Amino acid sequence: MKPILEIKNFQAHFHTRRGIVKAVDDISYQILPGETLGIVGESGSGKSVSQLSYLRLLPSPPLKIVGGEVLFHGKDLLKMTAEELRQVRGNKISMIFQEPMTSLNPYMKVGTQLIEPLLIHRGHSQEEAWKKGILELKRVGISDPEKAMSKYPHEFSGGMRQRVMIAMALTTDPELLIADEPTTALDVTVQAQILDILKNIQKQTKMAILLITHDLGVIAGLADHVVVMYAGRVFEKGTAADIFEKSQHPYSRALLKSTPRIDAIQTQLPVIAGTIPDLSKLPPGCPFYDRCENRMDICRSVFPPKKAIDPGHETYCYAEMSR
Amino acid sequence: MNPTVVKISDLKVHYPIRKGFFSFGKPQTLKAVDGISFELKEGEILGLVGESGCGKSSLGRAIIRLVDATSGKVDIQGIDFLALKGKALKAKRPQIQMIFQDPYASLDPRMTVFDILAEPVKAHMKLSSKELEERIKKYLELVNLPVKALKKYPHEFSGGQRQRICIARALILEPKIVVADEPVSALDVSVQAQILNLLKDIQQKLNLTMIFISHNLSVVKYISDRIAVMYLGKIVEIGSRQDIFASPRHPYTQALISAVPIPDPKTERNRVRVPLIGEIPSPINPPSGCTFHTRCPFAVAHCKEAIPRLENVAQNPAWQVSCWEANLV
Repeated sequence: MKPILEIKNFQAHFHTRRGIVKAVDDISYQILPGETLGIVGESGSGKSVSQLSYLRLLPSPPLKIVGGEVLFHGKDLLKMTAEELRQVRGNKISMIFQEPMTSLNPYMKVGTQLIEPLLIHRGHSQEEAWKKGILELKRVGISDPEKAMSKYPHEFSGGMRQRVMIAMALTTDPELLIADEPTTALDVTVQAQILDILKNIQKQTKMAILLITHDLGVIAGLADHVVVMYAGRVFEKGTAADIFEKSQHPYSRALLKSTPRIDAIQTQLPVIAGTIPDLSKLPPGCPFYDRCENRMDICRSVFPPKKAIDPGHETYCYAEMSR
Repeated sequence: MNPTVVKISDLKVHYPIRKGFFSFGKPQTLKAVDGISFELKEGEILGLVGESGCGKSSLGRAIIRLVDATSGKVDIQGIDFLALKGKALKAKRPQIQMIFQDPYASLDPRMTVFDILAEPVKAHMKLSSKELEERIKKYLELVNLPVKALKKYPHEFSGGQRQRICIARALILEPKIVVADEPVSALDVSVQAQILNLLKDIQQKLNLTMIFISHNLSVVKYISDRIAVMYLGKIVEIGSRQDIFASPRHPYTQALISAVPIPDPKTERNRVRVPLIGEIPSPINPPSGCTFHTRCPFAVAHCKEAIPRLENVAQNPAWQVSCWEANLV
């Protein structure tokens, strides 16, 4: 199967007064049609910035795309004109953001903003689009969708707003949905509802989902493949089983171990010493060097090359880990 | 058995709500905390969990008197902390301290770490400058920060280090009780474990009594001895960590626990969830009877009419649940 989106050696830097911030530094991964790819990472790992930068949703400057390719169905998004990209963005590639409170326009009725993509990308009439909008709201589990269309965002709770965001992202039947921390601002019981909606819709439509989150539990429930990112780099990628059961990277392993779990009694949590590095002062080698328990001298000077563990399971680390 | 340090009885925090500037109608009330009672033994950590809007932060703030309770008592070693005034109140305040969620917002950016830590000491104790410095250094060491941090400003630290400063500030007056309101929620996963372990170590070292407020059940499970689950201003279940997580009796506790994702694909994909309908209702007009009946998968007609009370589970007074349909055996 051909990947729907293929990111190759992508680099995006911010040029700031404090120096160059290497937010995305030579990352490569791909996502197949109909699958869910989970991207995990902590703040500053570049998991969101990478998506926002190739979709040109960030101001440039300060952002500068330094190199690489981002192929959507084989066509490089980075080389498209603004008009060509507009045909893809919000149409074939949709996005849901973390903050449902701030990503809806408070001055517009929910229905009006919900059908915008249909008017722009599909050339629907107002009436047609409104009808489709009602169906979309129904699909994400909003009761009384006719009435909801005429309400304003402040009349909804956080979970309801996130449903509206999802409905909006899905109006054009995208092939790829980028969900950036879609449930982080929500309570767990509502999170479970929203994740179920995403799963069910994916079953019906076969769209690919790129799920960005810091929550390993959410990834474990949804993702077919997982990419682990840290300080602008990809550290490890593989199937969910590869990452959760036989991870070969010290960071992925440590992150899993230091996460409190509801299904276990933990007396002492193993910690990762130190803090996330400043991206404008990264050392030349591996950015995890200072915090790594398996570090070697070479890690300090040269970022490790790709190492294949199994087909599809790759890490970027010099250390030989026990299997 | 350790002695009881805090006894909270029938605590209520009601906020008046006025709609519009010139509304002369009957003011509505938001019952953020609506009749909460529990006791804390010395050296115990009570985890307070619930979803946003359940009143857990209001409860924490009322206990420490950052908001005024509408009624009820907070007995600290036999003295009602909420009834104290003036000098008596000031004298008692060092015994109960707070750690806040956001270490970026709860430190004054214009103060050095030394000044931040000196402020509570200067307000409550008369120490010579040498004693002050020694005390500050002692607490800096307790939270594993280097002495050179004293001359720095908050912006020079990462989130985790700032939370260490906040912890030192809360502990420097040697409180008996610490209320920690979401102390690790703003931190990254890799830093969260450091702060959790630090809190646990310090709590054991100093035999602190702690109320640990969080929406994250995994974190609460890790750190707490006992757990109280709140819903719309009331405790719906309270018990030991073992009891609450091994065999939760309240449907809400069951739903909460089953909704927390587990970082293991095999387990996570084969889980059976207790499904909850909708979201937490408005605390301004809470549902009748058991306030949970609108979302409860097991609700019967009776639940809409009568308010359940906390009752002992398995004849154990330390484990209580308020539900008409719960198994109490």
